[in-house]
Amino acid sequence: MMFVSHSQRSLLLFRLSTLLLVAPFVASVARAETTPPTHSRVELIADQDSKSPNHPLSVGVLFHLDPGWHVYWQNAGDSGEPPKIQWMLPSGFRAGSPQWPTPSRLGSGTIIDYGYENQLLLIVPIETPKTSQLSHEQRVQLAAAVKYLVCRDICVPAKASLTLSLPVAASGQSSEWPALFRQARAQLPKPAPKTWSISAQSSQDHFILSVHNSTSAKSATFFPLEPSVIENSAPQAFTATKDSLQLTLKKSDQLMKQPAVLKGVLVLDGNRSYEIAARIASK
Amino acid sequence: MKRIFALSTALVLLLMLGISLAWAARVGDAAPNFTATDTNGQTHKLSDYAGKFLVLEWHNRGCPYTQKHYNSGNMERLQREWTARGVVWLTIISSAPGKQGYVTAADENAYVKQVNAAPSAVLLDPTGTVGHLYDAKTTPHMFIINPQGILIYNGAIDDKPTSDPSDISSAKNYVSLALTEALAGKSVTTPTTRPYGCSVKYPD
Repeated sequence: MMFVSHSQRSLLLFRLSTLLLVAPFVASVARAETTPPTHSRVELIADQDSKSPNHPLSVGVLFHLDPGWHVYWQNAGDSGEPPKIQWMLPSGFRAGSPQWPTPSRLGSGTIIDYGYENQLLLIVPIETPKTSQLSHEQRVQLAAAVKYLVCRDICVPAKASLTLSLPVAASGQSSEWPALFRQARAQLPKPAPKTWSISAQSSQDHFILSVHNSTSAKSATFFPLEPSVIENSAPQAFTATKDSLQLTLKKSDQLMKQPAVLKGVLVLDGNRSYEIAARIASK
Repeated sequence: MKRIFALSTALVLLLMLGISLAWAARVGDAAPNFTATDTNGQTHKLSDYAGKFLVLEWHNRGCPYTQKHYNSGNMERLQREWTARGVVWLTIISSAPGKQGYVTAADENAYVKQVNAAPSAVLLDPTGTVGHLYDAKTTPHMFIINPQGILIYNGAIDDKPTSDPSDISSAKNYVSLALTEALAGKSVTTPTTRPYGCSVKYPD
Protein backbone atom coordinates (compact mmCIF):
# COMPACT_ATOMS: atom_id res chain seq x y z
CA MET A 1 0.00 0.00 0.00
CA MET A 2 1.35 3.41 -0.95
CA PHE A 3 1.49 5.89 1.85
CA VAL A 4 1.94 9.47 0.67
CA SER A 5 2.86 12.00 3.30
CA HIS A 6 1.12 15.37 3.52
CA SER A 7 4.18 17.23 2.22
CA GLN A 8 4.61 14.78 -0.63
CA ARG A 9 0.93 15.21 -1.57
CA SER A 10 1.29 19.02 -1.56
CA LEU A 11 4.31 18.74 -3.82
CA LEU A 12 2.45 16.37 -6.11
CA LEU A 13 -0.54 18.72 -6.28
CA PHE A 14 1.78 21.66 -6.97
CA ARG A 15 3.51 19.77 -9.77
CA LEU A 16 0.19 18.68 -11.22
CA SER A 17 -1.27 22.20 -11.17
CA THR A 18 1.89 23.56 -12.80
CA LEU A 19 1.53 20.94 -15.51
CA LEU A 20 -2.10 21.95 -16.05
CA LEU A 21 -1.02 25.60 -16.35
CA VAL A 22 1.71 24.76 -18.84
CA ALA A 23 -0.38 22.33 -20.90
CA PRO A 24 -2.57 24.93 -22.67
CA PHE A 25 0.57 26.81 -23.78
CA VAL A 26 2.07 23.63 -25.08
CA ALA A 27 -1.17 22.88 -26.90
CA SER A 28 -1.36 26.37 -28.41
CA VAL A 29 2.19 26.16 -29.71
CA ALA A 30 1.33 22.86 -31.36
CA ARG A 31 -1.81 24.44 -32.83
CA ALA A 32 0.13 27.36 -34.26
CA GLU A 33 2.28 24.98 -36.25
CA THR A 34 -0.61 23.18 -37.93
CA THR A 35 -2.20 24.51 -41.11
CA PRO A 36 -5.07 27.01 -40.66
CA PRO A 37 -8.65 25.75 -41.22
CA THR A 38 -9.66 26.00 -44.86
CA HIS A 39 -13.42 26.27 -44.21
CA SER A 40 -13.92 24.00 -47.20
CA ARG A 41 -13.97 20.42 -48.34
CA VAL A 42 -13.21 19.21 -51.87
CA GLU A 43 -14.04 15.91 -53.54
CA LEU A 44 -13.73 14.35 -56.97
CA ILE A 45 -16.99 13.02 -58.37
CA ALA A 46 -18.13 11.62 -61.72
CA ASP A 47 -21.22 11.90 -63.86
CA GLN A 48 -21.18 8.15 -64.37
CA ASP A 49 -19.62 5.75 -61.96
CA SER A 50 -18.98 3.33 -64.74
CA LYS A 51 -16.65 4.07 -67.58
CA SER A 52 -17.11 2.51 -70.94
CA PRO A 53 -15.04 3.53 -73.98
CA ASN A 54 -18.23 4.41 -75.82
CA HIS A 55 -19.46 7.04 -73.40
CA PRO A 56 -18.00 10.51 -72.72
CA LEU A 57 -16.82 10.87 -69.19
CA SER A 58 -17.42 13.99 -67.12
CA VAL A 59 -15.78 14.30 -63.75
CA GLY A 60 -16.32 17.11 -61.31
CA VAL A 61 -14.30 18.84 -58.66
CA LEU A 62 -16.87 19.59 -55.97
CA PHE A 63 -16.06 22.36 -53.48
CA HIS A 64 -18.15 22.52 -50.29
CA LEU A 65 -17.69 25.93 -48.64
CA ASP A 66 -18.52 27.07 -45.12
CA PRO A 67 -21.06 29.95 -44.95
CA GLY A 68 -19.52 33.28 -45.98
CA TRP A 69 -16.45 31.71 -47.62
CA HIS A 70 -15.85 31.81 -51.36
CA VAL A 71 -13.62 30.52 -54.15
CA TYR A 72 -12.94 32.33 -57.41
CA TRP A 73 -14.01 32.29 -61.07
CA GLN A 74 -11.46 31.91 -63.87
CA ASN A 75 -11.11 35.71 -63.76
CA ALA A 76 -10.97 36.30 -60.00
CA GLY A 77 -11.61 40.06 -60.37
CA ASP A 78 -9.77 42.67 -58.33
CA SER A 79 -8.23 40.22 -55.88
CA GLY A 80 -8.02 36.47 -55.27
CA GLU A 81 -6.89 33.53 -57.37
CA PRO A 82 -8.88 30.86 -59.26
CA PRO A 83 -8.49 27.16 -58.37
CA LYS A 84 -5.95 25.15 -60.38
CA ILE A 85 -6.22 21.45 -61.11
CA GLN A 86 -3.37 19.14 -61.98
CA TRP A 87 -4.54 15.75 -63.27
CA MET A 88 -2.85 12.38 -62.92
CA LEU A 89 -4.66 10.07 -65.32
CA PRO A 90 -4.03 6.62 -66.78
CA SER A 91 -2.36 6.55 -70.16
CA GLY A 92 -4.76 7.37 -72.99
CA PHE A 93 -6.92 9.60 -70.77
CA ARG A 94 -6.78 13.37 -71.16
CA ALA A 95 -8.52 16.11 -69.13
CA GLY A 96 -10.18 18.99 -70.99
CA SER A 97 -10.72 22.53 -69.64
CA PRO A 98 -12.96 23.03 -66.62
CA GLN A 99 -16.46 24.36 -67.34
CA TRP A 100 -17.11 27.40 -65.17
CA PRO A 101 -20.66 28.04 -63.94
CA THR A 102 -21.85 31.66 -64.03
CA PRO A 103 -20.13 33.45 -61.14
CA SER A 104 -21.50 35.96 -58.64
CA ARG A 105 -20.16 39.43 -57.92
CA LEU A 106 -18.44 39.35 -54.51
CA GLY A 107 -16.89 42.01 -52.32
CA SER A 108 -17.92 45.63 -51.91
CA GLY A 109 -16.80 49.19 -52.44
CA THR A 110 -13.79 49.58 -54.68
CA ILE A 111 -12.81 45.89 -54.67
CA ILE A 112 -15.08 43.52 -56.59
CA ASP A 113 -14.26 39.89 -57.21
CA TYR A 114 -15.96 37.11 -59.17
CA GLY A 115 -16.61 33.72 -57.63
CA TYR A 116 -18.79 31.29 -55.79
CA GLU A 117 -20.21 30.80 -52.31
CA ASN A 118 -21.64 27.65 -50.65
CA GLN A 119 -20.75 25.17 -53.37
CA LEU A 120 -18.98 24.92 -56.71
CA LEU A 121 -18.95 21.98 -59.08
CA LEU A 122 -16.29 22.39 -61.76
CA ILE A 123 -17.12 19.93 -64.53
CA VAL A 124 -14.12 18.60 -66.45
CA PRO A 125 -14.60 16.49 -69.60
CA ILE A 126 -12.20 13.56 -69.78
CA GLU A 127 -11.18 12.11 -73.13
CA THR A 128 -10.90 8.37 -72.92
CA PRO A 129 -8.93 5.92 -75.05
CA LYS A 130 -10.80 4.92 -78.19
CA THR A 131 -9.78 1.32 -78.28
CA SER A 132 -11.13 -0.80 -75.53
CA GLN A 133 -7.93 -2.01 -73.95
CA LEU A 134 -9.72 -1.99 -70.63
CA SER A 135 -11.27 -5.17 -69.43
CA HIS A 136 -14.67 -5.07 -67.78
CA GLU A 137 -13.11 -6.07 -64.48
CA GLN A 138 -10.61 -3.22 -64.41
CA ARG A 139 -11.00 -0.16 -62.21
CA VAL A 140 -9.86 3.22 -63.62
CA GLN A 141 -7.97 5.40 -61.17
CA LEU A 142 -8.19 9.15 -61.61
CA ALA A 143 -6.26 11.56 -59.42
CA ALA A 144 -6.20 15.33 -59.16
CA ALA A 145 -4.10 17.78 -57.13
CA VAL A 146 -6.20 20.90 -56.54
CA LYS A 147 -4.70 24.17 -55.32
CA TYR A 148 -7.19 26.90 -54.45
CA LEU A 149 -7.67 30.08 -52.45
CA VAL A 150 -10.67 30.27 -50.12
CA CYS A 151 -11.58 33.63 -48.57
CA ARG A 152 -14.04 35.45 -46.42
CA ASP A 153 -12.65 38.54 -44.69
CA ILE A 154 -9.25 36.83 -44.83
CA CYS A 155 -7.79 34.34 -47.31
CA VAL A 156 -6.48 30.83 -46.79
CA PRO A 157 -4.51 28.98 -49.49
CA ALA A 158 -5.58 25.35 -49.60
CA LYS A 159 -4.76 22.17 -51.44
CA ALA A 160 -6.43 18.80 -51.83
CA SER A 161 -5.21 15.50 -53.24
CA LEU A 162 -8.21 13.73 -54.67
CA THR A 163 -8.75 10.30 -56.13
CA LEU A 164 -11.67 8.58 -57.79
CA SER A 165 -11.93 4.98 -58.74
CA LEU A 166 -14.36 4.04 -61.47
CA PRO A 167 -15.36 0.53 -62.49
CA VAL A 168 -15.31 -0.16 -66.20
CA ALA A 169 -18.66 -1.70 -66.96
CA ALA A 170 -21.54 -1.67 -69.38
CA SER A 171 -23.18 1.71 -70.01
CA GLY A 172 -26.44 2.56 -68.31
CA GLN A 173 -25.19 2.51 -64.77
CA SER A 174 -26.18 5.71 -63.03
CA SER A 175 -24.08 7.87 -60.77
CA GLU A 176 -24.97 8.94 -57.23
CA TRP A 177 -24.29 12.54 -58.24
CA PRO A 178 -26.40 13.20 -61.35
CA ALA A 179 -28.46 15.96 -59.73
CA LEU A 180 -25.30 17.97 -58.92
CA PHE A 181 -24.09 17.66 -62.50
CA ARG A 182 -27.51 18.67 -63.86
CA GLN A 183 -27.56 21.72 -61.59
CA ALA A 184 -24.00 22.75 -62.53
CA ARG A 185 -24.74 22.33 -66.25
CA ALA A 186 -27.82 24.54 -65.87
CA GLN A 187 -25.57 27.25 -64.39
CA LEU A 188 -23.11 27.23 -67.29
CA PRO A 189 -23.41 30.30 -69.54
CA LYS A 190 -25.04 29.42 -72.87
CA PRO A 191 -23.57 30.53 -76.20
CA ALA A 192 -25.20 33.81 -77.27
CA PRO A 193 -28.08 33.19 -79.71
CA LYS A 194 -26.93 33.49 -83.34
CA THR A 195 -29.73 35.99 -84.01
CA TRP A 196 -28.19 38.48 -81.60
CA SER A 197 -26.02 41.22 -83.05
CA ILE A 198 -23.34 41.99 -80.46
CA SER A 199 -20.82 44.83 -80.71
CA ALA A 200 -18.78 47.16 -78.54
CA GLN A 201 -17.75 50.77 -78.99
CA SER A 202 -14.70 52.22 -77.30
CA SER A 203 -14.65 55.79 -76.08
CA GLN A 204 -11.88 57.38 -74.04
CA ASP A 205 -13.08 56.06 -70.69
CA HIS A 206 -15.66 53.40 -71.52
CA PHE A 207 -16.67 50.38 -73.55
CA ILE A 208 -20.30 50.46 -74.65
CA LEU A 209 -21.58 46.94 -75.15
CA SER A 210 -24.63 46.70 -77.43
CA VAL A 211 -26.85 43.75 -78.20
CA HIS A 212 -29.44 44.06 -80.97
CA ASN A 213 -32.22 41.55 -81.70
CA SER A 214 -31.97 40.47 -78.10
CA THR A 215 -34.73 39.37 -75.79
CA SER A 216 -36.04 42.05 -73.46
CA ALA A 217 -34.44 42.39 -70.07
CA LYS A 218 -34.84 44.60 -67.01
CA SER A 219 -31.23 44.32 -65.86
CA ALA A 220 -27.85 43.13 -67.07
CA THR A 221 -24.42 42.44 -65.63
CA PHE A 222 -21.22 41.80 -67.57
CA PHE A 223 -18.45 39.55 -66.20
CA PRO A 224 -15.21 40.12 -68.16
CA LEU A 225 -13.18 37.06 -69.07
CA GLU A 226 -9.87 38.96 -69.08
CA PRO A 227 -8.56 40.92 -66.07
CA SER A 228 -7.58 44.60 -66.31
CA VAL A 229 -10.02 45.43 -69.11
CA ILE A 230 -12.96 46.95 -67.25
CA GLU A 231 -13.14 48.51 -63.80
CA ASN A 232 -14.82 45.70 -61.87
CA SER A 233 -16.23 47.97 -59.15
CA ALA A 234 -17.72 50.62 -61.47
CA PRO A 235 -21.51 50.64 -61.93
CA GLN A 236 -22.63 49.28 -65.33
CA ALA A 237 -25.21 51.74 -66.70
CA PHE A 238 -27.95 49.76 -68.46
CA THR A 239 -30.47 50.88 -71.06
CA ALA A 240 -32.88 48.72 -73.04
CA THR A 241 -35.59 48.86 -75.64
CA LYS A 242 -37.85 45.89 -76.29
CA ASP A 243 -35.31 44.25 -78.61
CA SER A 244 -31.95 45.78 -77.79
CA LEU A 245 -29.84 46.52 -74.76
CA GLN A 246 -26.76 48.49 -73.91
CA LEU A 247 -24.27 48.36 -71.04
CA THR A 248 -21.68 51.07 -70.36
CA LEU A 249 -18.50 49.60 -68.85
CA LYS A 250 -15.77 51.81 -67.38
CA LYS A 251 -12.27 50.97 -68.58
CA SER A 252 -9.73 49.68 -66.05
CA ASP A 253 -6.90 51.90 -64.70
CA GLN A 254 -4.62 49.06 -65.76
CA LEU A 255 -5.78 48.89 -69.38
CA MET A 256 -2.86 49.77 -71.64
CA LYS A 257 -3.46 47.99 -74.93
CA GLN A 258 -6.96 48.03 -76.37
CA PRO A 259 -8.21 44.45 -76.90
CA ALA A 260 -9.80 43.57 -80.26
CA VAL A 261 -12.67 41.66 -78.67
CA LEU A 262 -14.54 42.11 -75.39
CA LYS A 263 -15.11 38.59 -74.07
CA GLY A 264 -17.12 37.56 -71.07
CA VAL A 265 -20.42 36.45 -69.63
CA LEU A 266 -23.55 38.59 -69.92
CA VAL A 267 -26.23 37.87 -67.34
CA LEU A 268 -29.75 39.15 -67.98
CA ASP A 269 -32.28 39.58 -65.18
CA GLY A 270 -29.94 37.77 -62.81
CA ASN A 271 -30.70 34.34 -64.24
CA ARG A 272 -30.11 34.12 -68.01
CA SER A 273 -26.42 33.81 -68.71
CA TYR A 274 -24.63 34.00 -72.09
CA GLU A 275 -21.06 33.73 -73.32
CA ILE A 276 -20.32 36.71 -75.53
CA ALA A 277 -17.45 38.01 -77.64
CA ALA A 278 -17.99 41.55 -78.94
CA ARG A 279 -15.69 43.07 -81.56
CA ILE A 280 -14.52 46.48 -80.34
CA ALA A 281 -14.71 49.49 -82.67
CA SER A 282 -13.19 52.85 -81.74
CA LYS A 283 -15.34 55.95 -81.84
CA MET B 1 -24.05 87.62 -67.34
CA LYS B 2 -21.98 87.32 -64.15
CA ARG B 3 -24.21 84.51 -62.94
CA ILE B 4 -23.86 82.55 -66.18
CA PHE B 5 -20.08 82.96 -65.98
CA ALA B 6 -20.06 81.76 -62.36
CA LEU B 7 -22.30 78.82 -63.22
CA SER B 8 -20.22 77.76 -66.22
CA THR B 9 -17.00 78.03 -64.19
CA ALA B 10 -18.57 75.89 -61.49
CA LEU B 11 -19.62 73.40 -64.15
CA VAL B 12 -16.13 73.28 -65.67
CA LEU B 13 -14.61 72.80 -62.21
CA LEU B 14 -17.09 70.02 -61.46
CA LEU B 15 -16.27 68.34 -64.77
CA MET B 16 -12.54 68.60 -64.05
CA LEU B 17 -13.08 67.11 -60.59
CA GLY B 18 -15.11 64.33 -62.16
CA ILE B 19 -12.37 63.63 -64.67
CA SER B 20 -9.62 63.67 -62.03
CA LEU B 21 -11.62 61.21 -59.91
CA ALA B 22 -12.32 59.02 -62.94
CA TRP B 23 -8.71 57.84 -63.09
CA ALA B 24 -7.14 57.23 -59.69
CA ALA B 25 -3.63 56.26 -60.76
CA ARG B 26 -3.04 55.72 -64.45
CA VAL B 27 0.46 55.13 -65.71
CA GLY B 28 1.63 58.20 -67.62
CA ASP B 29 -0.34 60.60 -65.44
CA ALA B 30 0.89 62.61 -62.48
CA ALA B 31 0.82 60.40 -59.38
CA PRO B 32 -1.79 61.53 -56.82
CA ASN B 33 -0.28 63.71 -54.10
CA PHE B 34 -0.66 62.02 -50.73
CA THR B 35 0.04 62.96 -47.12
CA ALA B 36 0.50 60.28 -44.48
CA THR B 37 2.21 59.62 -41.16
CA ASP B 38 4.82 56.92 -40.68
CA THR B 39 5.41 54.60 -37.73
CA ASN B 40 7.78 57.13 -36.15
CA GLY B 41 5.26 59.97 -36.28
CA GLN B 42 6.85 61.70 -39.30
CA THR B 43 4.65 63.14 -42.05
CA HIS B 44 5.37 62.23 -45.66
CA LYS B 45 4.03 63.92 -48.78
CA LEU B 46 4.54 62.82 -52.38
CA SER B 47 5.99 66.27 -53.08
CA ASP B 48 8.78 65.52 -50.54
CA TYR B 49 10.16 63.05 -53.08
CA ALA B 50 10.43 65.23 -56.16
CA GLY B 51 13.70 64.31 -57.85
CA LYS B 52 13.67 60.71 -56.56
CA PHE B 53 12.27 57.41 -57.75
CA LEU B 54 9.60 56.25 -55.32
CA VAL B 55 8.17 52.75 -54.77
CA LEU B 56 4.84 52.33 -52.95
CA GLU B 57 4.21 48.84 -51.56
CA TRP B 58 0.78 47.99 -50.15
CA HIS B 59 1.17 45.57 -47.21
CA ASN B 60 -0.83 43.25 -44.93
CA ARG B 61 1.32 40.85 -42.93
CA GLY B 62 -1.55 38.35 -42.51
CA CYS B 63 -2.16 37.93 -46.25
CA PRO B 64 -0.62 34.73 -47.70
CA TYR B 65 0.63 36.63 -50.77
CA THR B 66 2.45 39.18 -48.58
CA GLN B 67 3.80 36.29 -46.52
CA LYS B 68 5.09 34.64 -49.70
CA HIS B 69 7.37 37.65 -50.33
CA TYR B 70 8.31 38.35 -46.71
CA ASN B 71 8.88 34.83 -45.31
CA SER B 72 11.14 34.12 -48.27
CA GLY B 73 13.08 37.37 -47.72
CA ASN B 74 12.20 38.50 -51.24
CA MET B 75 10.57 41.81 -50.35
CA GLU B 76 13.28 42.68 -47.82
CA ARG B 77 15.94 41.96 -50.43
CA LEU B 78 14.21 44.21 -52.97
CA GLN B 79 13.88 47.00 -50.41
CA ARG B 80 17.62 46.82 -49.60
CA GLU B 81 18.72 46.57 -53.22
CA TRP B 82 16.74 49.56 -54.43
CA THR B 83 17.10 51.88 -51.44
CA ALA B 84 20.87 51.34 -51.76
CA ARG B 85 20.53 52.78 -55.27
CA GLY B 86 18.76 55.90 -54.08
CA VAL B 87 15.17 54.76 -54.60
CA VAL B 88 12.75 55.68 -51.82
CA TRP B 89 10.61 52.71 -50.70
CA LEU B 90 7.42 53.34 -48.75
CA THR B 91 5.45 50.42 -47.32
CA ILE B 92 1.81 51.44 -46.85
CA ILE B 93 -0.73 49.73 -44.58
CA SER B 94 -4.35 50.64 -45.39
CA SER B 95 -6.05 47.99 -43.19
CA ALA B 96 -8.88 49.47 -41.11
CA PRO B 97 -8.94 48.96 -37.32
CA GLY B 98 -10.24 45.49 -36.50
CA LYS B 99 -9.35 44.10 -39.93
CA GLN B 100 -6.47 41.85 -40.94
CA GLY B 101 -3.18 43.73 -41.25
CA TYR B 102 -4.13 46.63 -38.98
CA VAL B 103 -1.15 47.50 -36.73
CA THR B 104 -0.05 50.07 -34.22
CA ALA B 105 3.13 52.03 -34.93
CA ALA B 106 5.08 50.22 -32.20
CA ASP B 107 3.88 46.82 -33.41
CA GLU B 108 4.92 47.62 -36.99
CA ASN B 109 8.36 48.88 -35.94
CA ALA B 110 8.90 45.61 -34.04
CA TYR B 111 7.78 43.63 -37.10
CA VAL B 112 10.13 45.51 -39.44
CA LYS B 113 13.04 44.63 -37.08
CA GLN B 114 11.88 41.05 -36.73
CA VAL B 115 11.59 40.35 -40.49
CA ASN B 116 14.66 42.48 -41.27
CA ALA B 117 12.72 44.66 -43.70
CA ALA B 118 14.32 47.81 -45.06
CA PRO B 119 11.71 50.25 -46.32
CA SER B 120 12.55 53.97 -46.12
CA ALA B 121 9.41 54.26 -43.97
CA VAL B 122 6.12 52.50 -43.23
CA LEU B 123 3.06 54.73 -43.66
CA LEU B 124 -0.03 54.00 -41.56
CA ASP B 125 -3.24 54.60 -43.54
CA PRO B 126 -6.04 53.09 -41.40
CA THR B 127 -8.70 55.35 -42.94
CA GLY B 128 -7.70 54.08 -46.40
CA THR B 129 -7.27 57.62 -47.73
CA VAL B 130 -3.96 56.97 -49.50
CA GLY B 131 -5.16 53.53 -50.62
CA HIS B 132 -8.26 54.97 -52.29
CA LEU B 133 -6.23 57.81 -53.81
CA TYR B 134 -4.19 55.18 -55.68
CA ASP B 135 -7.01 52.65 -55.91
CA ALA B 136 -4.78 50.06 -54.26
CA LYS B 137 -6.62 46.76 -54.62
CA THR B 138 -4.39 44.00 -53.25
CA THR B 139 -1.54 43.24 -50.91
CA PRO B 140 0.95 43.41 -52.41
CA HIS B 141 0.10 46.14 -54.98
CA MET B 142 3.13 48.02 -56.32
CA PHE B 143 3.43 51.56 -57.73
CA ILE B 144 6.53 53.30 -59.04
CA ILE B 145 6.76 57.08 -59.44
CA ASN B 146 9.60 58.77 -61.32
CA PRO B 147 11.55 61.90 -60.20
CA GLN B 148 9.14 64.08 -62.20
CA GLY B 149 6.18 62.73 -60.20
CA ILE B 150 4.77 60.63 -63.06
CA LEU B 151 3.41 57.15 -62.34
CA ILE B 152 5.49 54.69 -64.38
CA TYR B 153 4.35 51.35 -62.91
CA ASN B 154 1.05 50.15 -61.41
CA GLY B 155 0.48 46.45 -60.74
CA ALA B 156 1.78 43.13 -59.53
CA ILE B 157 5.15 42.54 -57.93
CA ASP B 158 5.93 39.72 -60.38
CA ASP B 159 4.44 37.46 -63.02
CA LYS B 160 3.60 34.44 -60.81
CA PRO B 161 0.25 35.32 -59.18
CA THR B 162 0.37 32.61 -56.51
CA SER B 163 1.00 32.40 -52.77
CA ASP B 164 3.75 29.80 -53.28
CA PRO B 165 7.24 31.04 -52.33
CA SER B 166 8.82 28.47 -54.65
CA ASP B 167 7.47 30.52 -57.56
CA ILE B 168 9.65 33.52 -56.68
CA SER B 169 12.97 32.35 -58.11
CA SER B 170 11.52 31.70 -61.57
CA ALA B 171 9.32 34.80 -61.61
CA LYS B 172 9.88 37.94 -63.66
CA ASN B 173 9.98 40.75 -61.05
CA TYR B 174 8.11 43.68 -62.63
CA VAL B 175 9.33 46.17 -60.00
CA SER B 176 13.02 45.41 -60.54
CA LEU B 177 12.55 45.38 -64.31
CA ALA B 178 10.78 48.75 -64.31
CA LEU B 179 13.33 50.35 -61.98
CA THR B 180 16.28 48.98 -63.99
CA GLU B 181 14.83 50.42 -67.20
CA ALA B 182 13.78 53.75 -65.67
CA LEU B 183 17.10 54.34 -63.86
CA ALA B 184 18.84 53.79 -67.20
CA GLY B 185 16.62 56.42 -68.79
CA LYS B 186 14.62 53.87 -70.79
CA SER B 187 10.84 53.62 -70.95
CA VAL B 188 9.19 50.85 -68.91
CA THR B 189 8.37 47.82 -71.08
CA THR B 190 5.60 46.50 -68.82
CA PRO B 191 4.02 49.49 -67.08
CA THR B 192 0.82 47.81 -65.86
CA THR B 193 -0.22 44.31 -64.84
CA ARG B 194 -3.09 42.91 -62.81
CA PRO B 195 -1.94 43.18 -59.19
CA TYR B 196 -2.37 39.92 -57.28
CA GLY B 197 -2.99 39.20 -53.61
CA CYS B 198 -5.65 39.56 -50.93
CA SER B 199 -8.01 42.53 -51.08
CA VAL B 200 -6.89 45.64 -49.18
CA LYS B 201 -8.95 45.69 -45.95
CA TYR B 202 -10.55 49.15 -46.25
CA PRO B 203 -13.10 50.41 -43.71
CA ASP B 204 -16.68 49.28 -44.48
